[in-house]
Amino acid sequence: MTTLHVISSSPFSDNRLSSCLRLLGHGDGLLLCGDGTYAAQPGTSHAEALRALGEGIALFALDEDLEARGLPSADWLQQIDYPGFVALAVRFDKVNSWL
Amino acid sequence: MKFAIALFSSPSAPSSRRALRFAEAALDGGHDIVRLFFYGDGVHSASANVVSPQDETDVARQWRELISTRQLDGVVCIAAALRRGVLDEAEALRYRRQAANLPAPWVLSGLGQLHEAAQLADRLICFGGD
Amino acid sequence: MSRSLLIISRQAPWSGPTAREALDIALAGGAFDLPIAMLFLDDGVLQLAPGQKPQNVQQKDLTANLQALPMFGVESLYACSLSLQQRGLTDTSLAVEHLDDAGLRDLISRYDQVITF
Repeated sequence: MTTLHVISSSPFSDNRLSSCLRLLGHGDGLLLCGDGTYAAQPGTSHAEALRALGEGIALFALDEDLEARGLPSADWLQQIDYPGFVALAVRFDKVNSWL
Repeated sequence: MKFAIALFSSPSAPSSRRALRFAEAALDGGHDIVRLFFYGDGVHSASANVVSPQDETDVARQWRELISTRQLDGVVCIAAALRRGVLDEAEALRYRRQAANLPAPWVLSGLGQLHEAAQLADRLICFGGD
Repeated sequence: MSRSLLIISRQAPWSGPTAREALDIALAGGAFDLPIAMLFLDDGVLQLAPGQKPQNVQQKDLTANLQALPMFGVESLYACSLSLQQRGLTDTSLAVEHLDDAGLRDLISRYDQVITF
């Protein structure tokens, strides 16, 4: 069964993202939202780690959070809105939010 | 699809607002919400006593309105609520506390309601942290 | 058939009520005869440290409640090997199966639902 993992905290302040990356399975998805979108900041080790995940992991970011933080769009991330978020929750077999 | 949505954060947390927007999008997309279950600090998102500054989003009020207008089942975990001072009339009376701050449409109940919702729904989605 | 639920507990025992509230969900699910598993990950493994004296900080003993898990029918208990090793835990107060990262990925994929605290 596939899992959509959701990260909403800054990867610079805690280890949720790094633990999540160890637990991602082939076919899973990862959605960055809230302060989790800071992981998409270009030139950071987090962005590099995400880019290196390869095609087995689908990467998403909530558009309102990227834009609010002045983060640029990235071609390696699919930007989604709330209807898109709902669609992801349907597409993957379960949702694991890293609270 | 049927969603069960659990919230673990207070109304000032971005995740509470995010859960609200998700719930609205799910309903607008034709999906059902089996239950909203507020646990941990999420019980504060059900408090009727939150006073938001006028120039800020009143997330607690928006939750109340969502549940009323869309006739959703909004459940607050009683154990989590009591320890955080979120009480309905009955509990305020029982424990002889000054005020009740959990009116209808909210219902106080136990963790069994979360498990039941998770069993009834196609998807369980949790919001919190932040 | 009931949907299975994996609860991932990532917080130290007394960093607020989170560890206890995660455990309460597991115990409630067990009481309803639901298929529940618990995984201790990151600081969550610190809940398993032996020799804790919670009364010193006026906290309730989480260990006793953790040990009640099998009595409530929650027997699938796991801990992340790396998290244990990083925190110098060679002994645990509860019998748990140690999993490496591949084992953790497999565990998560097997469950219908997950809640991570």
